[in-house]
Amino acid sequence: MTNEILNDLFKKGFVTEDQFKKLNLITSGQLVSVFYELRSLLYLGVMLFTTGMGILIYENIGDLGHIISIIVLCILIVICFWYAFKHAVPFTNEQVKSQTPYYDYVLLMGSLLFISVQGYLQFQYDILDNALEYSTLLTAAFFFFIAYRFDHLGILSLAITALASFWSISLSPQKWYSGDFFSDSDLHIIAIIFSVVVAALALVLDWKGVKKHFTFTYLNFCTLIFFVANIVGLFDEGMYGIYLLLIYGGCVFTYYMARWKKSFLFLLYALIAAYIGTTFLLADTILEDALEIWFFYSIASCGGFIYFIIKYKNYFTRES
Amino acid sequence: MNTAYNETGLYNLSVLKESKRWLKQHFIEANQFHKIKETYPSPFYHPNFLIRVLLFVAALLALSGVTGILSLLALGIDEGEVFLSFMCLLYGVGSFFFLEKVFIENNHHYKSGVNEALIYHSCGFTIGGIMGIFDFNVHFGLFACFIVLSFAAIRYLDLVCTICAILSFVGIIFYEFNNAGGIFQQIIPFVLIICFTPIYFFVKKIKPISDLKFWSNNLLIVEALSLLFIYAAGNYLVVRELSIEMMDLYLEEGTDIPFAFIFYTLTILIPIAYLYFGVKNKDMVLIRVSLIVIAFSVFTFKYYYSFGHPEITFTVAGLILLAISILLLSYLKTPRQGFTRENLLTEKWANMNAEAFIISQTMGGNQVTVKEEFKGGGGGFGGGGATGGY
Repeated sequence: MTNEILNDLFKKGFVTEDQFKKLNLITSGQLVSVFYELRSLLYLGVMLFTTGMGILIYENIGDLGHIISIIVLCILIVICFWYAFKHAVPFTNEQVKSQTPYYDYVLLMGSLLFISVQGYLQFQYDILDNALEYSTLLTAAFFFFIAYRFDHLGILSLAITALASFWSISLSPQKWYSGDFFSDSDLHIIAIIFSVVVAALALVLDWKGVKKHFTFTYLNFCTLIFFVANIVGLFDEGMYGIYLLLIYGGCVFTYYMARWKKSFLFLLYALIAAYIGTTFLLADTILEDALEIWFFYSIASCGGFIYFIIKYKNYFTRES
Repeated sequence: MNTAYNETGLYNLSVLKESKRWLKQHFIEANQFHKIKETYPSPFYHPNFLIRVLLFVAALLALSGVTGILSLLALGIDEGEVFLSFMCLLYGVGSFFFLEKVFIENNHHYKSGVNEALIYHSCGFTIGGIMGIFDFNVHFGLFACFIVLSFAAIRYLDLVCTICAILSFVGIIFYEFNNAGGIFQQIIPFVLIICFTPIYFFVKKIKPISDLKFWSNNLLIVEALSLLFIYAAGNYLVVRELSIEMMDLYLEEGTDIPFAFIFYTLTILIPIAYLYFGVKNKDMVLIRVSLIVIAFSVFTFKYYYSFGHPEITFTVAGLILLAISILLLSYLKTPRQGFTRENLLTEKWANMNAEAFIISQTMGGNQVTVKEEFKGGGGGFGGGGATGGY
């Protein structure tokens, strides 16, 4: 198919001969890129290695060999970051293209091993016992530094995760299944405040022009935490009105974010949250046991939404 | 069978998509792209992936409302089960027509999210209706699945339907032979291999045909799935566990499944063959599938011959993977034998933000183990997010 298109475009003169020759190499399959395959292999390798190491250390806590393994890990971490610093470009606020193909993965490995060592030290030496949360904060700070210094989106999201877990908010969809997304009763309030504060900070940073391409990741985490926390609040407490207002407020915010960032992931979050919120309100007030109205409601609301998106499609066209 | 979509429009759309990829990697200039865009206009409404998801969810919710109202009406009539099944069938076929008339013909939707919602919805009701009419007979059910899903896959170029159609095809073979009992049960793996090998070569042969260009993605899926099924049918773990689960095979200590040695050999040979021919013919489908099945073969052997130390396996496997990928990366610094490590054309699904999210998710476990101790148990929250829809 792609080859046919290229030939067609070349014949009609849309592509110059020089371009045709280059592209033809690719579309005819003479030159094949294994870019994504190799990256996936690297990523899997890093993940397996660091996970294995992490478990290995936990299992052997107290053994004679543990000091040696810690030392080995520390050396590995030092090597990773030495490599990172050696090949690093000076700090800039713009996006940085990685210097070597392995660069991002070396950084990732260093950071993941860092977590293993830090966790190990916590368990082995009780000195940190009372300050367990602060060591998480330390990890977060370290990751933020790494993420900003070397421009690494993956480590930025690790940093946000660590920061959130400092406030006992765990950020993993896997937790939803087990139902302890927010296990403490007041946690959703903390989570709401956390997400608003972090989002505000991210917007300030964006406004100052610091690493603008990080803003999306921040906002993604914040909107998710914000909506989930509000929905938990909605179901948890008698005074759901506040949460409902917060959800609608969040929807307005995410709507503008979606337009601004040209990413409709936010809109999807907003739609689902608003739908759950509104349905909850209706269920509690007017629709107590009228089944038919439910169906009309779902048709009207969702049909309206689809109409809105399609009707204003130019509003939502995105550059890429 | 033809597609439901306008063919010129489809072709123009794929020209646009392809030249956009070229533009992104600076193979062509922006003004060239604009000229192409003017000459190849596409009437279709084909939004980006996220809007598609958004529209899909919304459309499904809306459709559930329609279904709800109609089912209230139908249940009110109460003419027995067969009547209801006919209504389902009618409703399913009706919504196929609705999709074609309203969304494809008049509003030029092409894989817009609404389309997919309507397609799956229609398929579901059509299949459900047919099954109901035949009193939920499994034979007819599987055949109905296969036929309806193939229809949807071919007519609407839908990839999920393609996958499901193939799965129902496998289901037919499995069910029929399993029912036949005796020796037929034991040859199921071989039948699957014998079926899918010609399918694979046939698909490879017809893929370059120009008339089939709109189905190239569907054919790609068939190709990859055929490879996977050939492998799975020969995989020792799959065969053994399925024999025990589905056919009540009872294995005593020291005994093994019938033809065990064949399956052992296939588990080793097929991945190697895939990789070899993939590299030799520069066939990315083969290479990608081979990577997956190699991992599964390793898992198969670890599953039965484990030393009881998964963490050591992880570490060693990680080290091996790192070594291989670093070696290959440096080997391919300059393109060799037509392989390059550089990113030639960006893939649709490749996205830095998505990668970041995956990293944080796969890491989630490690962070949580640190916190768990500290948090202590708490009251459960019963998945309100999922139940709040209605």
